[in-house]
Amino acid sequence: MTSSATPSSLIEFRDVHKAFGAKRILQGLTMEVGRQEVFFIIGTSGVGKSVTIKHLIGLLRVDQGEIHFDGERIDNLSEKHFYPVRKRIGMVFQHATLFDSMSLRENVALPLRKHQGLGTKEALAKSDELLERVHMGNFAHSSPATLSDGMKKRAAIARTLAMEPQVVLFDEPTTGLDPVNARRIDRLIRELSDDLGVTSIVVSHDLPSIFGIADRITFIYQGKAYKSGTRQDFEQSGDPIVRQFISGNSHGPMETPGF
Amino acid sequence: MSVHTRIEGLGARAIAASHAGARLFVIGAKSLRGVFDRDYPKGEVARQMYVVGNKSLLFIAITMGFLGMVMVIQSGHQLNRVTGDLSQLGPQFLKLFIQEFAPTITALMLSTRVGAGIAAEVGSMKVTEQIDALRLSGITPTSYLIAPRLLACLSMGSILTVIAIVIAFTAGGISAWSVFGLNPTAFFDSSMVRTYDIVIGSVKALSYSLAIPIISGFCGLEARGGSEGVGTATTSAVIGSSFAVLLLDFMISGIGLMVFGGGV
Repeated sequence: MTSSATPSSLIEFRDVHKAFGAKRILQGLTMEVGRQEVFFIIGTSGVGKSVTIKHLIGLLRVDQGEIHFDGERIDNLSEKHFYPVRKRIGMVFQHATLFDSMSLRENVALPLRKHQGLGTKEALAKSDELLERVHMGNFAHSSPATLSDGMKKRAAIARTLAMEPQVVLFDEPTTGLDPVNARRIDRLIRELSDDLGVTSIVVSHDLPSIFGIADRITFIYQGKAYKSGTRQDFEQSGDPIVRQFISGNSHGPMETPGF
Repeated sequence: MSVHTRIEGLGARAIAASHAGARLFVIGAKSLRGVFDRDYPKGEVARQMYVVGNKSLLFIAITMGFLGMVMVIQSGHQLNRVTGDLSQLGPQFLKLFIQEFAPTITALMLSTRVGAGIAAEVGSMKVTEQIDALRLSGITPTSYLIAPRLLACLSMGSILTVIAIVIAFTAGGISAWSVFGLNPTAFFDSSMVRTYDIVIGSVKALSYSLAIPIISGFCGLEARGGSEGVGTATTSAVIGSSFAVLLLDFMISGIGLMVFGGGV
């Protein structure tokens, strides 16, 4: 197992364990995420990638271990004290999770009104700007139900940006999208880091995304950070398990439940 | 399976049930607080009132109409056999309906129609991570989702109960007149109804209207997995709400009898 720590880490997972009943998902996960980087968490399905990032916003709680964000321990915060953390860490969910009863601009305005205390008019004006940023300005008045998955994902990114977060978590942002829309989402993620200084943590097993925009990558295997490094480290890795994941070969040393 | 394993299994179930009870209590308390926080979308209470009230009206009207007719015909035949005096049929029927049947049967029907709907809607939002998205947007799901449904059930549950009494009593009166030739003035007599009956009926209607959205919302928020999880949540909501209605019925009736001696 190898790891490469960044000099100015923003987020640290220290020996994190998480189980659901008898099913042990994370078994001593340790990893660091640097400031303003696009950090990918990769691994096979069910390995605990989404579980890992949900700990950062208090949607799941660790069984054992510590999580630090910007020098502060956050794994032991109460629901009430997680509130300020959630203003700084946004999340784009796998299913976009827009509310069908509202238009796109109302969806984006929701956190502006709740988190930032803006009035309805101000919030809607700002939500129009955010939708423009993700190239969805023409659809501000549309209902999410009438849009394609790629459009919904972009609107969900706008809603997350409404909180002006320091970190954005992306849970499989390109899953279910065609290659063109997937690369558009990749470009948006890269722009957030380059233009706005946002740290992005992306859960994915979409290889073009991983090798297209990642600054650093952590590969989770058997509940631990099996390998961490740059794109080049992974491309040049001779580790048979890492190679099997990258090549997508069904035969190899990787243990997959049910096979 | 050894005795030890069985006892362990029972213990684990008891602990899980007590944890679920605690979570239900917390969700109930938060939902009630959400009513006062008013942190739900504008017009949402009115929309939910329409869903709970208007859309349940026909269902409840037909059921209560038939129930009123059947009960009067059955009771009338029994009375004819025993005493032959039908003068108390209408007054006793009204008393029983105000205190017992109208609130309880209306609530049981709301459990199946409204409770299932709440659990399915909230459960779908849970499994598609929309509840998590709400929390990240700074919104408490209980305030945003359950509180408006609670207000809608409280208001429309009471109104539907009154409508149920009127429909059942009217249908009963028509049946008594057409089957037994009973004079409508003898049937439509409210002299047996005491304040106690109205208070107990109102307390029941309000208690049921609190229990149904809280239990159904809780089942929705506990949904796990995909569509199967939503289905389980919906079934649990109907069973849980119906059971709560019957339990509350027993408790309120029992307390009423013990404290007020049945209001006689």
